[in-house]
Amino acid sequence: MLKVAIVGCGRIADAHASQIQRIRGCEIVGVCDSELLMARQLYERFPVKRYFGELTKLLSEARPDVVHITTPGQSHFEIANTCLQSGCHVYVEKPFSLHEDEALKLIALANERGLKLTAGHDDQFRHAARRMRALIQSGFLGGRPVHMESYFCYELGLGGYAGAILSDKQHWVRRLPGQLLQNIISHGIARIAEHLTTESPQVIAHGFVSPLLKSMGESEIIDELRVIISEEESTTAYFTFSSQMRPSLHQFRIYGPKNGLIIDQDQETLIKLRGSKLTNYLEQFVTPATVGRQYFANTLKNVKTFLARDFHPKAGMKYLIETFYRSIVEDTPVPIPYREILLTAKIMDTIFAQLDQQRSLVQAHGQMPLHPSFSGLRHT
Amino acid sequence: MSQNEHDAFIVSRDDLILVTGANGFIGSRLVKSLLDRGYRNLRCFSRSSNAVARFELVAQGYPGARLEVVQGNLLSRDDCRIIAKDAAVVFHLAAGRGEKLIPDAFVNSVVTTRNLLEACLQHKCVMRFVNVSSFAVYTNAQKRQWRMLDESCPVEAYPELRGDAYCFAKVKQDEIVIEYGKKFGIPNVIVRPGYVYGPGNQGITGRVGIGTFGVFLHLGGSNPIPLTYVDNCAEAIVLAGLKKGVDGEVFNIVDDDLPSSRQFLRLYKRNVKHFKSIYLPKFVSYGLCYLWERYSSWSERQLPPAFNRRVWHAFWKKTRYSNEKLKVRVGWSPQVPTEEGIKRYFEACRRGGRSA
Repeated sequence: MLKVAIVGCGRIADAHASQIQRIRGCEIVGVCDSELLMARQLYERFPVKRYFGELTKLLSEARPDVVHITTPGQSHFEIANTCLQSGCHVYVEKPFSLHEDEALKLIALANERGLKLTAGHDDQFRHAARRMRALIQSGFLGGRPVHMESYFCYELGLGGYAGAILSDKQHWVRRLPGQLLQNIISHGIARIAEHLTTESPQVIAHGFVSPLLKSMGESEIIDELRVIISEEESTTAYFTFSSQMRPSLHQFRIYGPKNGLIIDQDQETLIKLRGSKLTNYLEQFVTPATVGRQYFANTLKNVKTFLARDFHPKAGMKYLIETFYRSIVEDTPVPIPYREILLTAKIMDTIFAQLDQQRSLVQAHGQMPLHPSFSGLRHT
Repeated sequence: MSQNEHDAFIVSRDDLILVTGANGFIGSRLVKSLLDRGYRNLRCFSRSSNAVARFELVAQGYPGARLEVVQGNLLSRDDCRIIAKDAAVVFHLAAGRGEKLIPDAFVNSVVTTRNLLEACLQHKCVMRFVNVSSFAVYTNAQKRQWRMLDESCPVEAYPELRGDAYCFAKVKQDEIVIEYGKKFGIPNVIVRPGYVYGPGNQGITGRVGIGTFGVFLHLGGSNPIPLTYVDNCAEAIVLAGLKKGVDGEVFNIVDDDLPSSRQFLRLYKRNVKHFKSIYLPKFVSYGLCYLWERYSSWSERQLPPAFNRRVWHAFWKKTRYSNEKLKVRVGWSPQVPTEEGIKRYFEACRRGGRSA
């Protein structure tokens, strides 16, 4: 029986506890939060053996094999480091770390100690995402990806999570180097990172505060982001984060030299885009019909998965946790390769550095400049 | 207000009264009610930055009153220490509302309340801590239909099974107030309003029905709806907070002459906006809640347990409500009759263009 602990008992810890209790061969031996009341409420609602207010006590008394870290991003490195030092495997919620160097240190420590790590990029393990991965591995794209587009949008309501961030200038999300973006965009960036091969792709980022947030007196939180990522004369990608565009997409598009694929996370659909075209009118009559047939097939698949009781909103998290545990027990490769975690961290670091630079320019010149590369494009 | 009436209260007009959630739906009325009663030293705490301007305007109508507005967050222990200093009475209205997830509701209701209680404990000057709870905490499961729900009814013993973050947080909030009262001797009163309605809260209570599935399902039928008009509710909280000799008591707040769910819905459609609704008889709504609960459990919460038998008992079981204790012990009576309250509410709904 794998002994599991959760550190940090806020909203995402609920999702972890819910999914862990669906997995056979493990038990939650302890939960921990510096706010003991939070630890107790999680303990009271789930089959958890004990609750703690201190990490060291959790590690020494509950002696978990695996620790899930679900605290605010600022504390991920310290907690993960302590857990690894204590001989625990670690699942770190996104963002994995504040900076790439922290991720590097954690991975080095895990390797040194023969322990395993994973990041909370669970969206990449939802049903449609797994089907997409299998198709790509089977060679459906016809070679290396030529181009990718990743949309990861977030509707900023005035209540709940967003309301709390907007109304509280001291909110922990504001204190992250990349603020709101850092807490959200990992999912969308990791999707791109999975298919990149070089270690240092070129990144061009442009971000700004949406007119809506500005009208609410917000000047710090960047909620609109556009990024171009490119590997030397090879794969390119666009990443879009928006709080304002509708529909609020969670989509990933990937195009190879032969065919393309689109996954829509909200609809849980995977659509194959045929590379070859039919002649004349056939393309306009037959292709829409075949795409329609694909949507219908996706609907059936979703219904079938629902009837099989595996269509939970966090089905991807369950799969990721299960696969991570299996990699520990059977000593097989981790579900998310470390280079993908590092590349995601590196791309995010670069994005936030560029946004910081833009902020400084705004402060110096009073207006938001476009990135030089964007400016260049505008004049051609 | 006469001197005799003031003698029946635990504090004088110049003692400091703290109101958390002062900028909210009930809080703003409560502040006005205190000012109307002649209380001149109020500290209004709000998370919103709009509060300062709003209360500056209110203060203009009460020359001589000292209205201190503090903006902050009850999750900050420092903020709690600052606002609890010298407070003789604390009206604690701030709470997590509208949060769908238990941790969010819990942190904004329970952790904040604990912080405030700790601050009161530190300053040792609070004479009463008034905790604003809710009808949502009552289980109502063990009672027969049409039985009376009053303060003696049991609170939900397993609020985590209700599938309602607000209920869970409010049960735990009450528990912590009672715990601090027993352990550390913080005098407290718990008030539990029914559904507080009026201009500013135009939604139709779930006790009438739900619009979740695209069509409005009318579930209340002939049940009386435990309404309390916002001004009446604020007045009841003020009295429960100030009256001598009620420490440790719980008071339910509902108005007189409660309409049935059917009457309310009919009036709403006639006066605000017509829409289609389908009435589900009790045995059907109970059966559906039972099936939903079973499916949620069988599927390991593929569907969240939002509808279950506990919810049905609390919201849609035929129940009568009593405000007897409030009337007898603190001398409250609703100043705005239900007929008038509903009229004002519908007027506000029409102006706001709101519908179910």
